Amino acid sequence: MATMAGDAPYEERSLFVRKATGLVRGWSVQDAFIYAFFSINLITLGLYIFADGPFIPKGSLIYAILLSGLYLVFQTIVYAALIAVMPRAGGDYVWVSRILGGGIGFVLAVCGWWFINWHWVPIYANILSKEFFQPLAAIFGWNSVVTFFNEPKGIFTASVITAFMAAAFISIGMRNYAKLQKFCFLGGMVGLLIIFALLIFHSKSAFQGAFNHYAVKTYHSTSPDAYAATIKKGTYPGASQMGGLAFGATILLIPMIAFFNLWSNWGATLYGEVRGASDFRKNIYAMAGALIATTGLALVFLFLIAHTMGWNFYNSANNAWWGGTDQMSGVWPYPVTLASFFVSPWLQVIVILLMSLWFFGWVGTVFLTATRVIFASAFDRILPEWAARIDRRGVPYYAILIMLLPSLVISYFYAYNSTFTSWTLDATLVIAVTFCGSTVAAGILPWRKPEIYNASPIAKYKVAGLPLITAAAILFLAYLGFCIWKWLQDGVYGSNNHNSLIYMGCLYAVAFIIYGVSRIVRKRQGMDLKTVYKEIPVE
Amino acid sequence: MKLFFATDVHGSEICWRKFLGAAKHYDAEVLILGGDMTGKALVPIIDDGEGKWHGTLLENRYELNGEDEVVAFEDRVIKRGYYPFRTNPDDLRSLHENEARWHSLFQEKMLGTVEKWMKMADERLGGTGVRVICCPGNDDQFEVDAVIDSAKTVELGEGKVLDLDGFQIVSTGWANRTPWDTYREEDEPDLRARLEKAISQVSAPAERTLFSFHCPPYRSGLDDAPELTEDMMLKDAGRAVHPVGSTAVRGAIEEHQPALSLHGHIHEARGTCRIGRTLCINPGSSYEQGDLLGAVVDVDGKKKVKRFLLTSG
Repeated sequence: MATMAGDAPYEERSLFVRKATGLVRGWSVQDAFIYAFFSINLITLGLYIFADGPFIPKGSLIYAILLSGLYLVFQTIVYAALIAVMPRAGGDYVWVSRILGGGIGFVLAVCGWWFINWHWVPIYANILSKEFFQPLAAIFGWNSVVTFFNEPKGIFTASVITAFMAAAFISIGMRNYAKLQKFCFLGGMVGLLIIFALLIFHSKSAFQGAFNHYAVKTYHSTSPDAYAATIKKGTYPGASQMGGLAFGATILLIPMIAFFNLWSNWGATLYGEVRGASDFRKNIYAMAGALIATTGLALVFLFLIAHTMGWNFYNSANNAWWGGTDQMSGVWPYPVTLASFFVSPWLQVIVILLMSLWFFGWVGTVFLTATRVIFASAFDRILPEWAARIDRRGVPYYAILIMLLPSLVISYFYAYNSTFTSWTLDATLVIAVTFCGSTVAAGILPWRKPEIYNASPIAKYKVAGLPLITAAAILFLAYLGFCIWKWLQDGVYGSNNHNSLIYMGCLYAVAFIIYGVSRIVRKRQGMDLKTVYKEIPVE
Repeated sequence: MKLFFATDVHGSEICWRKFLGAAKHYDAEVLILGGDMTGKALVPIIDDGEGKWHGTLLENRYELNGEDEVVAFEDRVIKRGYYPFRTNPDDLRSLHENEARWHSLFQEKMLGTVEKWMKMADERLGGTGVRVICCPGNDDQFEVDAVIDSAKTVELGEGKVLDLDGFQIVSTGWANRTPWDTYREEDEPDLRARLEKAISQVSAPAERTLFSFHCPPYRSGLDDAPELTEDMMLKDAGRAVHPVGSTAVRGAIEEHQPALSLHGHIHEARGTCRIGRTLCINPGSSYEQGDLLGAVVDVDGKKKVKRFLLTSG
């Protein structure tokens, strides 16, 4: 602040800093934004889950995306606040362990960031098949390849490719992976702009013609008017209405869309010394900015789809695909593929390759956080020492194997055993439960760890007398509670499967047993794990 | 022999108090502080007249009314690891314009704090039989050594080999080059020569030898720090982490294979690793939160150290 002292005004100095390691000038919000933006991945997660819209026919996808996107700003406040209070702690596992206790921290993090990510491998693989292998194979006329990726062996093959790709990206180190992600972001954005341009500069009638042409040529539709046939087979009451639909049904879409927009916290910056309140705000700008930007882009994409393809067609195509009555030989009507019908097949290949960068820049996330949890719990001596071992190039080979091998086994059962597939339906729910743990920890932090909280740059922020972190946590917890309740209670999300709950319960039990056994074993070895997070009294 | 190791408390008095309390809390016979004891910043508390003051901490401005609020603010600054000082607008301006003067004030506050800490150690641990070893790190000015050396209870580790109940510990706070051009940093060959000179004084066998080198070994996982841009920003929002440890330290560990090697320097890189038989530990640091990250290690003279815990006290 400018003040008067002596003769002339000058900027009053509030801090004198000497030369010391670690003092940096912060980070670029733009860089942090990129990683958060990539985590709430519009193309891989967004487009994939928007295809489920017809399951809640009266809901408005547009309003649901908008409402949840705005509401989830509270999530970004919770996580930015946790980082401001406990920077460099390493994420959910350490936060929950330090605030709620080591056992709870371990069980929640292990299930939500490690075990469950084995089950996300076939989900990622499914996206890889639908957005990369099948569209490209269809363009090249490799019909057997298209069919292959709909079969169990194709699902398993895609899962193996996904798992090895994620492992490879972790192996190249964080520095190179960050570069790769940045490259993928830029390439993916170029692809997205091309798609937007194609949709803006073409009319609906041009799309109808293009779709009818390629549905026959590439996808072997027998209907001369595949566009009309798609609508005829797939339409349902409400399919043509973008907004103004029942509020209750729109709210019901929110737990579905969580699959897409619940991940802004993955972009949080955990490194560097927090210098003050501006770093807290920067984390919010990056995460909330990415959330709002992605929400905006999703809405633009859907409006352009409605403008050029027709909203009724988009919903009908998805519904017909789910019902097996589509005009594209059972290939998912990937909006990117549909938009690329305006250009020649070779250009279609280029567009799809560019858009696949959204997947390749993101796929490493399926193992990345898990390896951090494995490391942190090995350093806490819950897991054996070897789990955190790295080779001379810095590759965490055991942690990668701990992720890779079980994910391959699970992918095999996922591909070949439909009963097992149904057991994995609660994959998002388990992560949401872990978020609940972190959110509860954040909410009670000002009382549970007052020394740490009061020493943080956010201690001053209050809302209606409540600490900001607590107010945001309550609001985010309400969101999580609603989603979890609906996932458990409503069949439309496909996750209220009794066996799935039992299976997921078993994962929690395994985590609990690992923790319990570790406590006993370490005690016998002369190490009491209780002391790990026990605070030293200040005399 | 059970020892407790912590590092990089950077002026946090609450961490120092916890460090002294760790002997009782963890039943440790030896306490080792691995360097970077001193704080990084001075915080002015400015007199606005009529009993009113103001100060800024972590970019939040605080208006203070009366002595009690000023003292509470000072306490808050100290807990964060910074040094508060009272001043007025004119003096603050003069200080701002005279770098030598504020450096001198910094040194006065810093050394005064270390002296206070040494006395605190005497009061708490004097006569208990607990050994306390401090070895300043690359961020600590050289004047700190003399203050520690003159202490009764705390022993200075820098460049020395100390006997510990049948074990020997060799320490240094020197590091390889950093972007901050700190007090104790040098090129890798010079650092290796320094390490070898200190290690040459060790007479204990490898399984009874302990290293306490502030800088972690290169590419050990204990040295992963965010890459910086030329203008000292975190590259790729901190995601571009890369190894910044010392090849000299790694070489010394690989060659001499002590039972245990204790490190700090990189606050984010909390963890353990093995280099051959040597257990290497960097407990990390969360000094800003007054959270003392540490390691409790039970050394028994066997080939491999197996009983150890990283703690968050």
